[in-house]
Amino acid sequence: MGKDTEPSATGRRKFLKAATLAGTGAIAAGAAAVGEAVAADAAAAPAAKKSPLQITSRDSEQSAPPPNLEGATHTTCGSDFMVDVMRNLGIEYVAAIPGNTFKGLHESIINYGMMTAPMLEHISCMHEEISVAISHGYAKIAGKPMACMMHSTVGLQHGSMAIYNAWADRVPVFAIVGAQMDAAKRRSYVDWQHSVFDGPALVRDFTKFDDTPISLSHFAESANRAYKFSMTPPYGPIVLAVDQNLQEDPIEKGAVANVLKHVQSSPPRGDDAAVQEVARLLVAAEHPVIVADRAARTPQGLALMVELAEALQAPVIDMYGRMNFPWRHPLNQTRSQADKIGEADVILGLELTDFWGVTNGRLAPGAKRISITAGDLYLKANYQDFERFTPVDIAIAADAETTLPYLIEAVRRATTSGRRSVFKARGAKLAQDHQAALAQSREAAAVGWDAQPITTARMCAEIYEQIRHEDWALCNGTVFQNNWPQQLWTATQHHQYIGDSGAYGLGYLPGATVGAALAHRKHGRLAVAIGGDGDLMFTPGALWTAAHHKIPLLYVVHNNRAYHQEVMYVQMMANKRNRGIDRAHMGNAITDPNVDFSKLANGMGVFAEGAVTDPKDLAPALKRAIAVVKRGEPALVDVISQGR
Amino acid sequence: MKWLCWGVTIVSISLAVAAEKTGDAANGKRLFMTVGCYQCHGTTGAGGGIAGPRLAPDPLPFVGVKAKLRTASGRMPVFSEAVLKDAEIADIYAYLQSIPAGKSARDIELLSH
Repeated sequence: MGKDTEPSATGRRKFLKAATLAGTGAIAAGAAAVGEAVAADAAAAPAAKKSPLQITSRDSEQSAPPPNLEGATHTTCGSDFMVDVMRNLGIEYVAAIPGNTFKGLHESIINYGMMTAPMLEHISCMHEEISVAISHGYAKIAGKPMACMMHSTVGLQHGSMAIYNAWADRVPVFAIVGAQMDAAKRRSYVDWQHSVFDGPALVRDFTKFDDTPISLSHFAESANRAYKFSMTPPYGPIVLAVDQNLQEDPIEKGAVANVLKHVQSSPPRGDDAAVQEVARLLVAAEHPVIVADRAARTPQGLALMVELAEALQAPVIDMYGRMNFPWRHPLNQTRSQADKIGEADVILGLELTDFWGVTNGRLAPGAKRISITAGDLYLKANYQDFERFTPVDIAIAADAETTLPYLIEAVRRATTSGRRSVFKARGAKLAQDHQAALAQSREAAAVGWDAQPITTARMCAEIYEQIRHEDWALCNGTVFQNNWPQQLWTATQHHQYIGDSGAYGLGYLPGATVGAALAHRKHGRLAVAIGGDGDLMFTPGALWTAAHHKIPLLYVVHNNRAYHQEVMYVQMMANKRNRGIDRAHMGNAITDPNVDFSKLANGMGVFAEGAVTDPKDLAPALKRAIAVVKRGEPALVDVISQGR
Repeated sequence: MKWLCWGVTIVSISLAVAAEKTGDAANGKRLFMTVGCYQCHGTTGAGGGIAGPRLAPDPLPFVGVKAKLRTASGRMPVFSEAVLKDAEIADIYAYLQSIPAGKSARDIELLSH
């Protein structure tokens, strides 16, 4: 709570009150609307009673710019103030399971944040890992963080794996963990078990920022700082430990804490001289290759990727960290990765984490490697998700997406008419290669078409057949489905794919897809997830959240009845020791009994189809499930599938 | 010496061809499912992307399949004589050979657009 009361506090207080009562329309207009909002105060006063109408207007509010609540506030308790700080940052949702170290904030969200505009909505969860994963998936579609809350000690320990996923996937998550810092106020032995002096230390190795504020002003500053850093490339999760008493204590009469104006840092772009040199090398190259991993942060990033590739008529290899490049674009040469890398004379890696893995053993003599990544700007040592060190010829420490317009411009300037002819011929050849790869993929997909268990190719083709005329969005990484969607489907828009978990930590997908679907909901998109049975067994409670909040989502279970990848490794061990692999399924198979995912989903109020064993039954099952999703609810289809 | 090498090679190929011809496809299918091949290559040998390449239809020559089993590297487990006899490899190979070609992508509507 700030002692430095500003002279203009009264006026701002009126504005805040008016904004709260009058709705987002007045708020979004920002400072210019202060006068109007204050004038509206008197008229709005009779409506001071909390109005559910303000809640139902939320969807139309979401497309508005972030609210402008900065200034003094005289709410009655610390956690109400925290709600104002969060929504001033543009945070719209908070995912959590309850925990008594944040009960003050919980109460403020449901009785203040959800009852006044702009609404801060509570999303009920079944596990902290799900709360964080929902935030993770949401941010990749919404382009901004939502918040999640976790109980001190035990809650953060549950959520830590999901935080690591977000860290490795470079995704902003605004995590709050409750804390009881005052030992004299811990009521029972349980409170002591749930108390920690430095809670965020648990996840400090894989968060960008953390703090334990001791006053409301301190909270406002730390929340702004945390949000700013989480949203500055490379994005990442942050944690604020929020003291229970700070949340629950009433604000002293006359005291003022300020909701601070938030200005997001513009992301860093590459140095001009280095960008010019990269352009020169790319234009002069006979076989340039662009490799993108988490390059397209936004829809604009996707458009820029296309612009660069077309300016050079260069092949693009998509590592599928994001929707980096249209899947059916003629320059998309992802299926020919080994060949294209092997013949490359210049390789441009954009936000490419594993440059070594892409080029190791394939690099042609004299080939130059260029890296543009914000990963070079921020690094922590203990967890080694930064992958093997790769010597490159030019390293630009900058955000790739922000650098692209300058690189494209430099490429255009450096391109002579002679080179343009070369590019044109190269592009024509690449277009043929793309068509050949597509034909090859289709033939490969046809193999075992009628097999049981159903092939992953058939499963993906059947799903696409049902969604291809919709505004669909795939919410999962596809490595466990052999990337069949990328091989067979057509995707052109940024929201149609969001990449994978980041750290391959199981339990990600159910929550992340619910979060992504939550962000898709206001756009009326058909959110689709294809996820493994093992992953779903980690965090099935996410389905309940989708049902409870009526989040439309088609969840197709790729049910191969095993932690399949691990089977291979145990087989390898067993054979290395000449013991045979007939027992390698032990500890890996999810059989005896088989999990009935339909019942599991039904039990949580989710419509379900399956288990589908005959590929001929897949289309009707998907149709019925999609009809439910179109009504605004989740639906699950359990498909008994091949391993991969 | 040169002729001796050729002789050994011819005998090896002959034995391999013989094994290939005498394999028991039914037992091969049983083995394919029990020793774990299907986990990465699919129950019909259709393959599993990076997990395991396509094995059928039209499998590689028997000697190549056998050599791969005996000297596998990377993700593929090594199958020594102690865990998989030559005759069993022949049976598995016979199963792979018995898998019909199936439909072409051109004949499948979902793969035509």
